[in-house]
Amino acid sequence: MLCGLVICPRAYSVTIITHASVGQADIPSSQLRRIFSMRQLRWQNGVAITVFVLPSQHPLHQRFSKEKLGIFPYQLDNIWQKLSFSGLGATPIVVQTPQDLLEAVKATPGAIGYAADEAKTGGEVDVN
Amino acid sequence: MKRKQGGKLMLTNILLFSALKRLLCCALLPLSLLSGCFCAEALADDNYNTRWRLHGFIAQGVIDVDHSNYVTDDGDISARLTEIGINASYQLSRDFRVTGQAVYLNGGNRYHEGARLDYLLLDWSAYSTENWLVNFYFGRFKNNHWLYSNIRDVPQARPSIILPQSIYFDGFRDIAEGGEGLDIKVSYSDDELGEFDFGLSAGTSDISKAQTQIILSKLAGGRLKHDYDIQASLYWRPLYSSWRFGLALLDSDFSYDGGEQDAFLDADIVLQRYFLNALYQGEFWELSAELLQDRFVFDDFYFPGFHQDNLGQGIFLQGRYKAGNRLTFLGRYEKFYINKDDKHGRKLEQGSQGQIPAYFGYQNSFTLGVSYDLLANVRLELEHHWFEGTARLTPVVLPDARANSREHWNLWALQLMYWF
Repeated sequence: MLCGLVICPRAYSVTIITHASVGQADIPSSQLRRIFSMRQLRWQNGVAITVFVLPSQHPLHQRFSKEKLGIFPYQLDNIWQKLSFSGLGATPIVVQTPQDLLEAVKATPGAIGYAADEAKTGGEVDVN
Repeated sequence: MKRKQGGKLMLTNILLFSALKRLLCCALLPLSLLSGCFCAEALADDNYNTRWRLHGFIAQGVIDVDHSNYVTDDGDISARLTEIGINASYQLSRDFRVTGQAVYLNGGNRYHEGARLDYLLLDWSAYSTENWLVNFYFGRFKNNHWLYSNIRDVPQARPSIILPQSIYFDGFRDIAEGGEGLDIKVSYSDDELGEFDFGLSAGTSDISKAQTQIILSKLAGGRLKHDYDIQASLYWRPLYSSWRFGLALLDSDFSYDGGEQDAFLDADIVLQRYFLNALYQGEFWELSAELLQDRFVFDDFYFPGFHQDNLGQGIFLQGRYKAGNRLTFLGRYEKFYINKDDKHGRKLEQGSQGQIPAYFGYQNSFTLGVSYDLLANVRLELEHHWFEGTARLTPVVLPDARANSREHWNLWALQLMYWF
């Protein structure tokens, strides 16, 4: 199986990482919002999207939410709570540390997550 | 006595968890065979258990109501403020998912105490692109149409312990919370217009005898039946906007089959509701408002040929201020009357020969509250409500004027909640 992660760095302090199976070089912020608010469930190539996040109180998650999505963390929590407790949809998978998040994205086809800019991704993920 | 109640609660929890597990297993087996995608190979690759989701909450509080039987008949401080829920979701294949949630609720007189199956459904993601998402939900589904309808029992997700009764009337909780049938959701998002969500559902709920008496009267010996229910809603969030706007419609029919030696006759009831709502979510402020008009048509019941056709109206305006990551303040004003042509309830009182006081024709309230997150998933919430009028106290059809002998009443509630 193809194991890799794609990362897209810009002038942000947070970096989006995707599994190599995603095969999408650039992910615009509007699409990121759709993905993390669970309004887009599949990549263009048809692969199911698996979203990994850190706990909502984690500083990296807070930075990611505001800087990359333009959404306040509590808004994301509201969206996910509604999905989860109404049965409308599955929610992102929460992992406890940035390293766990990196490993999870590496190991899961179709996965997306984020990392600190300075994080060493090891070249096994795509950086957006 | 307390030990007995604690043991009862624990037993209820165990039964609830085991019931949900059994239900999901029963639902999973045929569905997994049908989908043909429940394969060992996929599971072997699933190092992060991405197919399963398990979430839940447990909340216990105390509530004190003065001058009404909203929660208890004796007016003492009560611990009848328990909400427990657990849900599980399993992704059968890329397009199919099965999910269910069971809850245990104890709210005193607000609704009947006990465990309930909140939802148990097969979710078919029929069409999914970058911009479109179309899902069909088969089975028992939740009401996803009003601003807070699908999280009314989810303590950490709703804005207050007691929701605005004009719209989220506890007496109708079991009827309004969901139904059995089909629910459809269509979502569209683009980079010009923003986000749209359209929902359509058709499905009825079983109404217990206890719930029948809560709605109608303790003297009702028969059962209320939910014959027909269709709901639709449309929500729109402009691109990158902090605002979201929604409208929702409900059309439902009920019938009452009187019991043997019943004090009441068979009856037909029509309930139609129209909603408009708006939500603003800023960094510190969250503002929301919801407007309701409901038509309540009631035939027979008291005597052959009895006919009542009321248009009720309600509104709440709510503000929440987030003072940091942990502390949130709440303020809300709410207004409701059961007949827009009798806003002060005078006709109601006259029509009942004084048996039903005029203040049963309306219910206004003002609420202040505060919540504090002790941990990332533990919250303490405190609130006080001041009420004027008793139109949203049960029973609805034959009000209890003796137990609710005052126009002005109030309550405070404190609740500790944990979720995962």
